[in-house]
Amino acid sequence: MALFVQHGHGKSDKIEAALESKSVEGVIFGARNEKIENIEGCIESVRERHGKVLFDPQFHVSTLIPANDRFLPDYPYYKVGRTSADFVGIKKLAGYVKSTLDFQLTLTPDRLLSPTVIFDSFESNWCQTALNLADASLDYHGGLNGAPALLLSFVIGEQALGSSLELDAFLDQVTSWDSLTGTYIVISREESSYSQRFDSERLANALYLTYVLGNINGFEVINGFSDFCGLLHRCVGSTAFATGWNHGLRQFHRRSFTKQKPGGQPARPRYTSAALLSSILLSELQQIFENGKLEEVLSGVPLDAIITEAASPEESDWNARWSELHHWESLHNLEDSLGNNVADNILYLEEKIVAAQELYVGLVEEGVVFGTQTQPHHLEQWSEAISSFHEKTSI
Amino acid sequence: MALPTITEQNIKDLLPSVTAAIPAGHGGQKIVFRIDLGAQSFALKFALLSDTFQPDIADIDETVLRARRETQIMQECQSPHIVKAGPIELGTAQIDGQNVLYFSEELIDGQALSDVLQQNGPLPSVSVVQLGQQMCSAIDELWSLGKIHRDIKPGNIMRRSDGATYVLLDAGLAFDVAGESISAGFLVGTMAYFSPEQFDYTNRRVMDFRSDMFSLGVTLYEAATGRHPFFSPTASTPHPFTKITKHNPPPPSSINQAIPASLDKVILRMMGKFPHLRYRRISQLQEALALI
Repeated sequence: MALFVQHGHGKSDKIEAALESKSVEGVIFGARNEKIENIEGCIESVRERHGKVLFDPQFHVSTLIPANDRFLPDYPYYKVGRTSADFVGIKKLAGYVKSTLDFQLTLTPDRLLSPTVIFDSFESNWCQTALNLADASLDYHGGLNGAPALLLSFVIGEQALGSSLELDAFLDQVTSWDSLTGTYIVISREESSYSQRFDSERLANALYLTYVLGNINGFEVINGFSDFCGLLHRCVGSTAFATGWNHGLRQFHRRSFTKQKPGGQPARPRYTSAALLSSILLSELQQIFENGKLEEVLSGVPLDAIITEAASPEESDWNARWSELHHWESLHNLEDSLGNNVADNILYLEEKIVAAQELYVGLVEEGVVFGTQTQPHHLEQWSEAISSFHEKTSI
Repeated sequence: MALPTITEQNIKDLLPSVTAAIPAGHGGQKIVFRIDLGAQSFALKFALLSDTFQPDIADIDETVLRARRETQIMQECQSPHIVKAGPIELGTAQIDGQNVLYFSEELIDGQALSDVLQQNGPLPSVSVVQLGQQMCSAIDELWSLGKIHRDIKPGNIMRRSDGATYVLLDAGLAFDVAGESISAGFLVGTMAYFSPEQFDYTNRRVMDFRSDMFSLGVTLYEAATGRHPFFSPTASTPHPFTKITKHNPPPPSSINQAIPASLDKVILRMMGKFPHLRYRRISQLQEALALI
């Protein structure tokens, strides 16, 4: 099992329910959305359910303007409005590392996550700052006796993945650190709304990044905020991936961490179809049901019963809570079929993609109409990304 | 400009403790003699210095600096697979009106790997593995001192007469990661054994031991197959940069079927086009070789 809950705003009892359903291995807490005085209790609750705990300090929010940082200012390592000038000098970096890691040590997580900054190009000064923070974190961690293993955090802007030449140089640097044991990678997405789409070349490079770190170099790699794409990462060498209960926790968007005008519509109920490799709207599931194709799109997990035991999807008790739990259950079910052989995993996923494409074609022919965010474009992009990945790695 | 003709008498005049000196080889800008000092034999190397060389500019002369680095490495390294320094320390002299430098090192009773391959063809797999493991020990020790050899190739590896011990020579081009580059702005080494990143001299600061691992991979490929992975004496050859950075050589076992798949895999990984595709620790490579 290699799926984590990505924690965020409005957790209620979702985490406990996910752990009790055995579809997730643990939780990656985000500092921004938890009061400092509550965090220990939250962790305790996870421990009681034998879940693993990671704490993302979300240090990177300190460079965003205007930051939507909620509870972060209460954390001792955080300060709003840091600029590039705040990252000049080894002493300053060492100070950030010490305060960030020391705070995590009080929580006794299963892994420590290093502080980092977001960057949009591997050649940017911000990338160099991220590497300097990583280097300083390894140095500080090396002097801690009995501390949990350290994962170096990187929050990489999706556009950075457009250059494989620069990615190669970045990987040469990261893999040269002898004491490194693992990484926590988050890709900051450009796509403004939740969908499974991902530019194929960028996705291919993202997979190459995971493959080099996880498979070739044997590091532990956790892909945060990765949702369905986390499955692709797992195929090529990721140790685990994380996704949350709302769209902002399934994909990382910088705008979630900057102040926005209030507004927007509440999310519509969704159903995660392992067969379609997508999370579709309940209204779309209803159309599929009406065309007599419901069985073909079901994920094959216990919570499907809420749909199948009702007269129809729209007449069922399906709600946001069931949708969230079902999402983890479905991803866990897909992930559970993966092993450690990259070629076998990719073959498995390619077969799933082809089957999903055929299923989509059949459903559209029957008259099912999918919305712009739930159409099958992502499958073609994933397929192209896998082809590029094959080409680059000769797997 | 060629080295002057150096005679046994020249050496005895220069170094009275030497009781015998026999020419033992030459190449490029170096001549090597086998010398006797009492009951022991050593190698004595001479290299040509420029006409304008003066002892007071020794600290900035490239040839002298390289020789200093080479002798320093020989003195510091403990590995039995790196040649050791001899008793005659680095010095300069004039012979036949030309400036030369000299120093001594351990005399290795054996044959250069390049000669072994030329005379006997490929090594059996077990010897390739042995060669790989011993050179790993040499690379590991150099890296522990923050150095990269930069010129690992069959011509710089001696096989002792026991037939099973290999020794790495000629650390004159070794690069000190933390120090000043002796060859700033120039590509140094033997291009046919360059790692892809060695061609990018502007990027040299990020080079590490994985560059030597690549050169060793090329050497092991050649030792296992009798053929260079990127160059053939008969085929027309593009620039080494293009060959080494773009061409994927066939698995060694496609040339020599006696090579096990596990050795294929190790050698090809050592020749990964980027450092991040190779082994990230020498110990990992050693473990992989031990499993063959």
